[in-house]
Amino acid sequence: MSRHVSEWLNAYHDGELRGSRLHAVEAHLAECELCQAERGSLESLSRLLHEVPAPEFMPVERFAARVSLRIPHQSTGVSKKQIIEFGWWMIPVGLLAAWIFISTAFVISDILSAAGNLGLLSSTAKWLASGSSNEIYLSTTIGQMGLLSGNGLNWAEATETFTRMSLPQISFQVSIALLYLSWIAIWWARHTRHQQHGQLLEG
Amino acid sequence: MGIPSVAVAAVNETELVTQAQRGDRNAFGELVRIHAQSVTNVIYRMCGDVQIAEEAAQEAFIQAWLHLSSYRPQTSLRNWLYRIAVNAATDILRKEKRILPHAIEDLPLTDSRPGPEALLNQSERKALVQKAILSLSDASRAVLILREYEEMSYHEIADTLDIPVGTVMSRLNYVRKILKEKLEQTLFLNVEVDHVPAR
Repeated sequence: MSRHVSEWLNAYHDGELRGSRLHAVEAHLAECELCQAERGSLESLSRLLHEVPAPEFMPVERFAARVSLRIPHQSTGVSKKQIIEFGWWMIPVGLLAAWIFISTAFVISDILSAAGNLGLLSSTAKWLASGSSNEIYLSTTIGQMGLLSGNGLNWAEATETFTRMSLPQISFQVSIALLYLSWIAIWWARHTRHQQHGQLLEG
Repeated sequence: MGIPSVAVAAVNETELVTQAQRGDRNAFGELVRIHAQSVTNVIYRMCGDVQIAEEAAQEAFIQAWLHLSSYRPQTSLRNWLYRIAVNAATDILRKEKRILPHAIEDLPLTDSRPGPEALLNQSERKALVQKAILSLSDASRAVLILREYEEMSYHEIADTLDIPVGTVMSRLNYVRKILKEKLEQTLFLNVEVDHVPAR
């Protein structure tokens, strides 16, 4: 005989089981007198509970009139919960906007830098492009002091260029991606919680 | 083919909610008429006193009006109102320090009388059942009432009480076990006698 199904009998009695779990409980009940008796006691209990009828309450019209007299004249406006819910759905939109803005800023910066190097910019535009200059101050200083030379100096220059030009861009984009993934993880956790019911009862 | 009346009622209710959320008191009054009985019944089952249940149900509808803007129309209005009703009942039980109808307070939950003398009449039996229900914890009683008297699914109960479905299941297992223990000696005996077929 299969294992007793006491823990699932309430859900079975309430018509909440589905799929393989339902078949397992039905198969066990067909052969187990102990579980049949337990199921019978659940039915008896339900019958007993329904022997207590609801009393006569005041007529609905009188009840509604009393509520109407007591309710304030204006319902409240937009609730805090709605604002939070709106803000929650705005998070991915905000992250996308931030990503577009940062990417555009870096592309413009690169274009200005390239144009400056080619001497295509006026003095004002050169000043604007100065922030995006890829000059390598630290490596040059180290080279002038004679601390590095040859391949070592080339590596230092390449590292400094990468750190100045590409690292901020990568950092921003990785941060945005992490925030977006966190949002998806939280959304998935909330979504899964709502779906828990079916999985639990289907077995 | 006609549109099912349940679907029409749901559409009407959604429309009424929308109007009430815009401040239409008549629309809200109509929602009160639709749900008054069931909300009052839930509170009555929780506290066991008609007058207090009616008072608490009115308070629950006032709270519903005040917080109507936070209600999302894609969820069940009934479940939302029941949540407010259960909270109202719990509050009132806390304030009133357990409400038990005086008439049943003195009745024992078990009967030591032997044989046929142990058979209770119907009103005594109802009183005993009610006392057993009222002796449960608020959290367990709420789950039992929503399942047995309002015939809500586990998912609906979980949504209404904002608890996981697994908790609904475990509370129902527990509460029915406790009730069976409390009522077994007296009541199951009577049920069996009641259901003996007439010869």
